Amino acid sequence: MNPIRIALTKGRLEKSTIELFEKLGYNCDEVHNKGRKLILSVGGGKFEVVLAKAADVITYVEHGVCDLGVVGKDTILEKGTSFYELLDLGFGKCKFALACKNGYDFYHGYGAKTIATKYPNVTRTFFEGKDMDVRVIKIEGSVELAPLVGLSDGIVDIVETGSTLEANNLSVIEYVTDISARLIANIASLKLRKKEIEELVSKMEAEVK
Amino acid sequence: MKKNLKITPEGTKDYLFKECTAVDYVCKKIQKVFENHQFHRVITPALEYYDLFATESSGISAESMFKTTDNNGRIVVVRPDSTLPIARMVSTRMQNEVLPVRLYYNQAVYRNNPSLTGRSNEIMQMGIELIGSKGKRADLEIITTAIQTLKAVCKDFRIEVGHSLLFTSLIDSLNVESDLKEKIKDYIESKNYAALNFVLDKLVQNDTVKAIRTFPSLFGGEEVFEKAEKLIKLPKALEALAYLKSLYKDLCKLDMEDKIIVDLGLVQQNEYYSGIVFTGYTLGYGDAILSGGRYDKIFGEFDIDLGASGFAVNINHLAEEAKYRSKSNLPEVLVFAKTDDDIMSAILYTEQLVKDGVKAQFSDLSDEKEAREFAEKLGIKKFKIIGD
Repeated sequence: MNPIRIALTKGRLEKSTIELFEKLGYNCDEVHNKGRKLILSVGGGKFEVVLAKAADVITYVEHGVCDLGVVGKDTILEKGTSFYELLDLGFGKCKFALACKNGYDFYHGYGAKTIATKYPNVTRTFFEGKDMDVRVIKIEGSVELAPLVGLSDGIVDIVETGSTLEANNLSVIEYVTDISARLIANIASLKLRKKEIEELVSKMEAEVK
Repeated sequence: MKKNLKITPEGTKDYLFKECTAVDYVCKKIQKVFENHQFHRVITPALEYYDLFATESSGISAESMFKTTDNNGRIVVVRPDSTLPIARMVSTRMQNEVLPVRLYYNQAVYRNNPSLTGRSNEIMQMGIELIGSKGKRADLEIITTAIQTLKAVCKDFRIEVGHSLLFTSLIDSLNVESDLKEKIKDYIESKNYAALNFVLDKLVQNDTVKAIRTFPSLFGGEEVFEKAEKLIKLPKALEALAYLKSLYKDLCKLDMEDKIIVDLGLVQQNEYYSGIVFTGYTLGYGDAILSGGRYDKIFGEFDIDLGASGFAVNINHLAEEAKYRSKSNLPEVLVFAKTDDDIMSAILYTEQLVKDGVKAQFSDLSDEKEAREFAEKLGIKKFKIIGD
């Protein structure tokens, strides 16, 4: 049987997931000494780990070239389409928040507000829920800059400690939702390799609880 | 202006040689299964009026259809699905047929998918429609035909069976605004569980919400029914569950428990499903390759009360897989006419060889050296000269 292939979001989530695998007793030496390799064997060939950017983790899992994936809820909400979300892994915790300049009355007036964000879909859904028609501008880098230079009335972004906001005289108006790392699965893989995947999931679940 | 002279539109591609052989191979196998079950082929137009698919229950979004207009400015679409056109055909042209009728089709459907996702916009499909019958006999006939179809063309497969009324009755019983119900249905249909949970989190956490949340993960063998019986209390949902259980017990008589999965979270994208639903998966492909079920409601759109069930298989991936197994279609002999006076005898000689069961090809190159090179490059072993 082929190993189960798992796509991990590079960086923090990768680190925490590998720690979790090691706690479960799977050998992760190849990940620690990966060099330039892109596909890494874990647990003595039982699993294969590939590292990718968050949004790509979803793409790989959706197309079924990876059976499982570890990705932040933020990316899932933004890009979420057709896959199963199996488990809240409990790490990579942060929040989506709407923020604007200190002292700015965001909900004041009738003019359509402009929001700068890296997450246009999340932003649209959030304001649709409030029956508010807003203009969304997609920003690729530091979103905090947009309200400071006058591009937007506010931002929707990930907030962890709030220190970046504070340093730039911005403050949270409202939290949109909580975020953490999730284990996702390809729909067909879950049907075709139910036993193996469920075995891993229940082990992970017992550890993160 | 830059002309798109050398590329095909996104989501489409050309099929060459082995790729076509593989498509034919897969289609023939499926056709045999369909015809053995006495289904008869129909062909519907590639263009249909937009109105046919704009009904509330079609489940096909306006954005995903390729549209144009006819001479009178009416909106026309390239068919995004074959079931609705066949329902239209049956309700108009087959009013006096003896029912039930068994129909099959082999034609592509077209979807305008979001760009750069790698999805095909032209999906070759074969499918059957069993029209004019309701109940268990028809349901089992259609599911077993689906299983035999998968068996004929897949190395390894799973088929999951569910009941569309399980979910819909639960959602209908939710005490929330109809807008939100629609949203929940949308998310379930698109299998967007992330967004689904996001919405459910905001509701009062009662038994129904808990059941809706748990359902997507309720799949497997017989044990699923036990778990579900504890979860749901709604009579309508329990009735659907009991029916599904009896159907599953019958299907187990095929001795394929390892291939058949009960999936209570299964819903199809089109809202016209009103009973059993099923989906087929094959190893090595991340999406469903077969989907179908019962859709009695569909004829309601045409003001007729008729039972209808069926399924469609996507051919593209199956052909891709078969490509590696299909034999080459290379001729064994290349027949060359020495001079122009020998052309007709060479053509007749080739025809005779073909009649005798030899794969032979007449060479239309007039230079012997070129013809020999051609045969060598293609790997045609025999070179026959006529007119010595």
